[in-house]
Amino acid sequence: MKPLTYAGLFTAILLTAVSLYAVEDIPAFGDENSAANKYIKLFAIDAEAGLAEKLNAGTLPEEIKNNIYDFGFIKGPTCEGCQDENYPALEEGNYKIEYIEKGTWLGGRFYTEGGWDVLIHEGEIFYNEPQQYYFIAEKDGNLSVYRYNWPVRVTERTEEETGIANAVTSGLADYRGYDTMGEETVILTGAIGVILLLRRRGRL
Amino acid sequence: MTPGKRGYKRDVIIEVTTNLMFPLTLLFGLYVMFGTGGTGGGFQGGTILASAYILYITVFGHEKGRVKMPESVNALFKSLGLFLYNGAGWICVLFSLATAQWLNMPAFWPVTDYVGVAGSRSFLVGYMISVGIGLTVMAAFVSQYFDLAWKEDDEMEGGEE
Repeated sequence: MKPLTYAGLFTAILLTAVSLYAVEDIPAFGDENSAANKYIKLFAIDAEAGLAEKLNAGTLPEEIKNNIYDFGFIKGPTCEGCQDENYPALEEGNYKIEYIEKGTWLGGRFYTEGGWDVLIHEGEIFYNEPQQYYFIAEKDGNLSVYRYNWPVRVTERTEEETGIANAVTSGLADYRGYDTMGEETVILTGAIGVILLLRRRGRL
Repeated sequence: MTPGKRGYKRDVIIEVTTNLMFPLTLLFGLYVMFGTGGTGGGFQGGTILASAYILYITVFGHEKGRVKMPESVNALFKSLGLFLYNGAGWICVLFSLATAQWLNMPAFWPVTDYVGVAGSRSFLVGYMISVGIGLTVMAAFVSQYFDLAWKEDDEMEGGEE
């Protein structure tokens, strides 16, 4: 066999191995640490009397709402009757609250701790289905408030996790590194295809 | 190739401008390609590098362009880019004894103790992965351009004969 054949065989084995490694490491469906399901802890407040009852009744207490607003998330549309944000304000009718038991499979996620899921209501203008919005868990007399959503996770954690200030680069080459490697393989394959189709023999 | 076989007249302005712009375009392509803090990335940098070579080949003809970018170098870059990318991941996997998920845990990296895990990740992304992408994109585009230019040239020669 020629050295070129050995090189081709080696490349094929390497690519097969990395594909197997990638498939083997794909997180299980509903893994709460996978990128799509990860949620971010915003703050924790004392679980005073009445807060849990209000949540069970389906309304978000003012204390939690104000803390969320203090955190910098939107209060709502800035003008009458317009929607200038992608995420809805926490007003009655925009959200609904459901208590999720520990160990439930729901929305592609396995709940390792029980808590209240604040969902965007399906009647909301931009969302046709209930969407996970906030998650509130009770632990040691504290109510911890988490916020879902991958874009938030990326914008808030990308520099801390990857050391890359550019969120696009971190998404392209770090979080979705396998994807980009596949694209690069496509480019290489395309170039080889053009060589095989267009190049005349003996003109290298 | 002699000027007579070119099919068009030589233009001093275009040739001098190309000679001036060629290294600057390469430099700009490298600036876009390297690092993570700036604009662009591997794909964009590779495209700019390829555009420099394509400009050169368009102006001076593919035989003079072949001197700048020989086929051996082109083939080397084409696969070296993919090996760099693949190797960045495999270095992490091998040195972390298969606990890493691709680039997520480059704990092996000698500089990790000084710059932290995040810093090593950004180093790998900026100086191995981006460069790998850029080299492959550049070599693939230049190679495709050479192939197409040759085919057209052969057809034109055949028509003249």
